[in-house]
Amino acid sequence: MKILRVNMSDETPSAKFEELGEYEGFGGRALTSAIISKEVDPLCHPLSADNKFVIAGGLLSGTAAAMSGRISVGCKSPLTGGIKEANAGGQAAQVMGKLGIAAIVLEGKPKTDDTYKIFINKEGVKIEKDNSLKMLSNYDLVQKMRSQYGDKIACISIGPAGDMKMSAASVAITDMEGRPTRHCGRGGVGAVLASKGVKVIVLDDTGTLPRQPKDPEAFKDANKRFVAGLQKHPVTGQGLPAYGTNVLTNIINEVGAYPTYNFKDGKFAGARKISGEVQAELEKQRGGNPTHGCHRGCVIRCSGIYHDKDGNYLTKQPEYETVWAFGGNCGIDDIDKIAMMDFLCDNYGLDTIEIGAAIGVAMEAGLIKWGDADGVINLIHEIGKGTYLGRIIGNGAAFTAKAFGVERVPVVKGQAIPAYDPRAVQGIGVTYATSPMGADHTAGYSIALNVLKTGGFVDPLKPEGQVELSRNLQIATAFIDSTGMCLFIAFALLDQPETNQALIDMINAFYGWNMKDSDVMEYGKKVLKFERDFNARAGFTKQHDRLPRFFYKEPISPHNVVFMVKDEELDQLFNW
Amino acid sequence: MRVIIKLFGGLKSKRAFPQNEEGDLILEFTEPIAVGEIIETLDLNKKPFIVILNGVNLVDFSIKVKEGDEISLFPPIAGGQC
Ligand code: SF4
Repeated sequence: MKILRVNMSDETPSAKFEELGEYEGFGGRALTSAIISKEVDPLCHPLSADNKFVIAGGLLSGTAAAMSGRISVGCKSPLTGGIKEANAGGQAAQVMGKLGIAAIVLEGKPKTDDTYKIFINKEGVKIEKDNSLKMLSNYDLVQKMRSQYGDKIACISIGPAGDMKMSAASVAITDMEGRPTRHCGRGGVGAVLASKGVKVIVLDDTGTLPRQPKDPEAFKDANKRFVAGLQKHPVTGQGLPAYGTNVLTNIINEVGAYPTYNFKDGKFAGARKISGEVQAELEKQRGGNPTHGCHRGCVIRCSGIYHDKDGNYLTKQPEYETVWAFGGNCGIDDIDKIAMMDFLCDNYGLDTIEIGAAIGVAMEAGLIKWGDADGVINLIHEIGKGTYLGRIIGNGAAFTAKAFGVERVPVVKGQAIPAYDPRAVQGIGVTYATSPMGADHTAGYSIALNVLKTGGFVDPLKPEGQVELSRNLQIATAFIDSTGMCLFIAFALLDQPETNQALIDMINAFYGWNMKDSDVMEYGKKVLKFERDFNARAGFTKQHDRLPRFFYKEPISPHNVVFMVKDEELDQLFNW
Repeated sequence: MRVIIKLFGGLKSKRAFPQNEEGDLILEFTEPIAVGEIIETLDLNKKPFIVILNGVNLVDFSIKVKEGDEISLFPPIAGGQC
């Protein structure tokens, strides 16, 4: 496996392959965070030539391992000012792995405002200027690439929000059908890709083979045990395939942790109408599909395909966090309108969480009324067009709050807080506060134990035990994010030690390593250390590891609780 | 004593109970009764895994219900990625 470095500062951008060298043994998030931490000046402007944009598949991407299609992108974030790793599913990680590329590192910046496309296949790398791609939406762009390069390609791209370098711009990854539906959403990564002058990276693995393990028999056996474990577990074998992630709407609402009207309430009266149960039923009735994988080799298949009232494709099955961001957070209970918002965000290349939160803040300011779904759709179009109002919203919740003078700003390190109220689920509040990524539920998903009773139960309404819970989850997640595995395997891993062992056996068989459980934790800690170290050099202090003050002062209904984990305890999170 | 039962995630009762406008089941009891016993009474298609009493995730199912209590039941479920 090689690192592909592309220098965008050269008059004719140049590409060269390098050995992994000091990065040997790193994949996914470990690789993006190691490269950013070691090679990027933490004080650089995120959109400057000094920032780098790194794309990396995981340790097992491009192999025959099930679930190994996760791709990470990393850079200094224009939203948080700290290190960023954002990951997504789709086909690109596997294609990159099969092409023998561990990471693509985009460096420098063109001196002109030309737009480039990069095409990579087994013959090599072609970098071409193509200004006709500027401001194209993701769906049109991918269609154009398919007509030029064929249907077998995978694309990594930005929409107009990226072109305009907005801090909520995402990086789209194409799915099995070649649609740009999977997004490395958070932290404005799309703006950084745009700053390198790159609109799209087209990958074609024609004529390549899967990566071969050191010990094929042991690898095959471990993969078999791993898949059996995922199929046996009730969550990964039944719950996620049947309803997708949006099955969370009802339960998070029932436990009073569903942030409603910009975090004013913990319950939303319209929750049932936008739940995963309703969504799955509509998908079945309209000829969509409630059980679908986002990449080949996914055996959980939590995704789906959403059709409109006339039975035509509208978007992929909107995820829980998207449905929340535009649903309860904005007071909207129309699932078709929310699905349209999901499509528009994918098409313009936007993080649905950041945009939903920004619009919640704008509603608080009175820009449009709570529940005004058509108003929200108009605002998303404003972002796509780049009007002045659109540019405000497209730069996220904190920026929008400043523009409109709003005090209630649900962000940590500048990044919007997602779909779980940290007062009603104290463990997730610890993750929001301390993650080097800014408010990010996936960084240490305490909901698993605080609400879903996977891997045990820790009372969500009490501060006790939450720091330890979040610490262990953040460490384990940093490892899983480095393997290329979808994080949803964690539900089975937490409950079934033999499935956890199967994953470790699979990695060992592939690389000829002798990793043990304790090494897994050390690996995760190493990743977090790279990230914390970068942030410290970028100027982050322990005061940045806090929630906004209103979470400490305003009790949330129906439990009437505030966030109670003490600052001194939060400061112990990385003291392992 | 009237208790509201909310079923989610494909849970269904094999018995017929009166329902409110939302489709939730309305159960009447004369004596105080434990949550665990109510779940038995419901005769569900699948075993519930998460049991919520008035917004609180229950660990102890021997707790007795009061007039107007709401119980929400879920099979094993998860999510949480975008
Ligand atoms: S479980 Fe869902 S998110 Fe994970 S790989 Fe499968 S479809 Fe993608």
